[in-house]
Amino acid sequence: MEKQTEPSGVYEVFVQRDHLDPMMHVGSLLAPTNELALQLARENFTRREQILQIWVVPRTHIYSAEEDDFHAREMDRSYREVSGYTENGRLWRMFKEKEITLEEIVRYVEQKKQSKHDLHREESHES
Amino acid sequence: MDSQRLEEEFVKRVQSGAKIEASDWMPDGYRHLLIKLIHMHAVSEIMGVYPEKEWVPKAPNLRRKLALMAKVQDEMGHGQLLLRIVEDLAAPYGKGREELLDDLVEGKVKFHNVFHMEARTWADAGLIGWLIDGAAIINQASLLSTSYAPYARILKRICAEESFHMQHGENVILSIAMGTDEQRKMLQDSLDYWWYSLLFFFGPLEITPAAQKMLHYRIRTKTNEELRQKFLAKYVPRIWSLGLTIPDPTLHYDSKLERWHYAEPEWEVFQKIVSENKGPKSQERIALRRIAQDQHKWVRLAMTTGI
Ligand SMILES: [Fe+2]
Ligand SMILES: [Fe+2]
Repeated sequence: MEKQTEPSGVYEVFVQRDHLDPMMHVGSLLAPTNELALQLARENFTRREQILQIWVVPRTHIYSAEEDDFHAREMDRSYREVSGYTENGRLWRMFKEKEITLEEIVRYVEQKKQSKHDLHREESHES
Repeated sequence: MDSQRLEEEFVKRVQSGAKIEASDWMPDGYRHLLIKLIHMHAVSEIMGVYPEKEWVPKAPNLRRKLALMAKVQDEMGHGQLLLRIVEDLAAPYGKGREELLDDLVEGKVKFHNVFHMEARTWADAGLIGWLIDGAAIINQASLLSTSYAPYARILKRICAEESFHMQHGENVILSIAMGTDEQRKMLQDSLDYWWYSLLFFFGPLEITPAAQKMLHYRIRTKTNEELRQKFLAKYVPRIWSLGLTIPDPTLHYDSKLERWHYAEPEWEVFQKIVSENKGPKSQERIALRRIAQDQHKWVRLAMTTGI
């Protein structure tokens, strides 16, 4: 009973939609206890969506950077980004090949069975 | 429910595509295999830093130096992310980060064969980025479908970072390939040095009982040989296009069998490198790792006690 007389606190709400997804912040709510916050979160945020997990976190427990320049990037970081290497496509063409991307590799590896067509295509580069 | 029934239901679940979370019940066998696999993955990321960091001071220009440092930082980061996953899994056995790292310097956990080798030239450093990362990406991409959800989520993140490693490695190799005769010779020499290590990287042809168990639990969904074949299909044509010769005259695509035929690496020789830490650089790098571990003890202490 004592808890209900306390003022409601702000809770931040996070949901996870699939095992392969991270927890995502979806909004916040006011509630007097953890348990009620969880109930409310379910009612407010997941009435239709099929979700896997909800977290409610008291806002006072969230610690974040206050300075504006905490995330500042002082210098060009293209050397550590894919976008810094766009010339690869042109260079591969000089060798009569094409660039590969990570997405292409992932798709290729995830294929259930290696299709005949694919291997032939790869092989035909040689001849 | 008795453990036999629990195990059967667990297997039925993972085989129908269910994902397991750290807090879910899991058979001991499943937990052990995961610890073994991810612990080895984690320490391989850390040991994989050594051959490349050796080239940071010697990189040919500032941009390459920055890129190499960024890559080294990423790989250390991968080691950290993966160790965190092992910590959760190993908690019931009272094993934490300290013990997991001790295992490395005490030779109780193995790391990938390629990181026992020497990065002798700038072409070696480039080839590591292109082909070793390439092989590792194929392996990691295949694990994205693992039944253990925390591992799958972290691999998603790791793969996203690997896309920079891939482009960086290719860029280094392409510029050497466009260089002088001497530089091209250096590149060929590098391929000769690494080729069989690369083939070995994917593991033995036969499906060992442990590998069979991993497939059974859907920790893995592809065999070593399937992954090696995928690597060959993607990379051999590109190696050839650069005008390089792969040091295996028998290498070809067999269209009848629908697979790449290749000369096998000397399995026992490479196995010894991994299981006894007897590669050209194994002991030196483990010794460096031991020094780092001793000297950084105060950092870990500060991080765990907050002093
Ligand atoms: Fe990595
Ligand atoms: Fe990498």
